[in-house]
Amino acid sequence: MSPTVQPPPADPRTRATSDGTAVTITGWRCTACHYPMTQQVTACMECRGEVEETTFATEGEVWASTCLRVRVPGHQPPFAVAYVVLDGGPRVLVHTGGDQPLAPGTRARVVAVSETGDLVAEPDGPVSAQEVAS
Amino acid sequence: MSAYVYGVGTSHFGRQPGVGGPALAQQAVLEALRDAEVDSVDAVYAGTVFGAPGTAQRALQSVGITGVPVLTFENACATSSTGFHEARHAVLSGRYERVLVLGIETMTAHFNGPITPEETDAEGRAGLALPGVYAMVASRYDHLHGLRPEALAAVAVKNRRHGSLNDRAQHGVEVTAEEVLASRMVADPLTLLQCCDISDAATAAVVGVDRGRTRDVRIAASALRSGGLWDHRSDQPWGYELMGQVAADAWAEAGIGPEDVDLFEVHDAFTIGEITATEALGLAEPGGGQDLVLSGHTTLGGRQPVNPSGGLLSRGHPLGATGLAQVAEGVWHVRGEAGARQVEGARVAAVETMGGGTAGIDGNGCVVVVLGG
Ligand SMILES: [Zn+2]
Repeated sequence: MSPTVQPPPADPRTRATSDGTAVTITGWRCTACHYPMTQQVTACMECRGEVEETTFATEGEVWASTCLRVRVPGHQPPFAVAYVVLDGGPRVLVHTGGDQPLAPGTRARVVAVSETGDLVAEPDGPVSAQEVAS
Repeated sequence: MSAYVYGVGTSHFGRQPGVGGPALAQQAVLEALRDAEVDSVDAVYAGTVFGAPGTAQRALQSVGITGVPVLTFENACATSSTGFHEARHAVLSGRYERVLVLGIETMTAHFNGPITPEETDAEGRAGLALPGVYAMVASRYDHLHGLRPEALAAVAVKNRRHGSLNDRAQHGVEVTAEEVLASRMVADPLTLLQCCDISDAATAAVVGVDRGRTRDVRIAASALRSGGLWDHRSDQPWGYELMGQVAADAWAEAGIGPEDVDLFEVHDAFTIGEITATEALGLAEPGGGQDLVLSGHTTLGGRQPVNPSGGLLSRGHPLGATGLAQVAEGVWHVRGEAGARQVEGARVAAVETMGGGTAGIDGNGCVVVVLGG
């Protein structure tokens, strides 16, 4: 093998920008069936209809969650993650602070993009004891 | 008309750095050819997930199998199950009279520890390693049904006890529920003893037309699908609906249901995987997989043992070789050759393999095979 440096692969994650106070999540939505997509597409994944760039809600409901406590390249354990179904779709994978996963069924909001390029979410509204999964 | 398994073979399972694919394949293929009582095949359907290009041909020349078509499949954990599924169809369609199916994986050559997530995958890039994928399954299952830690532990205790009877297994040591739950947390709620280990191994089977021998095991059904879109509209844990669809296909083709099966080998890469698989296969109602394992129904000596081999939890998980290891276990039981772990009077075995790693769909591929009957 030649010792050339490979360019990094295209980043497949959900696209988001932060101006320091608010996060904007961008993607594509089908103009025909309204299916929301976070991966770069030129046609709808569901119906192959036309798509247009759009922004998605930053709030939604936690669908499932866990905390990884093993070494994963590029991420420092422990780190908690969750699937959040954004209001109006899509479902995104987010990191959440600390090592206590957010409980499914509770509300969360994407508040930042981490140094590693991942969406970061927090519980939406005041946290009650029941909202932190045991 | 049916296709039959003439013979099966496997290498030992375990971290065997330095042994290499050809040496592992020699063990598996020579055993399978002897078991099948054949010395040549018309084609080879091989499988490896992480192996280099040419892995199959490099291994096959070591057993003198050259000059025939060799195809290599990749379907994540379901790789050699997919090769088996396709080999069966090649025989049924009349294309070949007998096909060697081969799975090879030398994971210690590629990973120092657990499998690292694929960075071209959106969730892999975000750090969702495979234990995390299954932990998310457990989290969602808990949200839908309530998940009891003792049910997860019971899967690990049962399968590792079964594995203690399997001298080819990587981890054949019995554990207690307390030890399972007290082992290091990997991805909440899955602890270390609830996770399979990476492994180096090769597995093989010879599939062919009916040649009228009672020792050949009939393939009653085989089904394969990849998952549909798994997105914001989905209510069920990852893989559950795919497993259910593929199982339904297999039961329809076999003309039997899960109640008619004497033993199952299912994809317990993580404990929660066995619970969701038993529900998707129809052995239990949604949410009922926990009582199923806690009741003893699925233990050796129970009404329908699940993973009598010890499963992936005991055997280890050489990805591209796992599916045929499950098939081999089913064949041994249906023939009455499973030794200390023989399911008494077994006539029908079912195998389920679930492969994943692609974000956004309900699984890269799932295979369900019904043997015997
Ligand atoms: Zn559309």
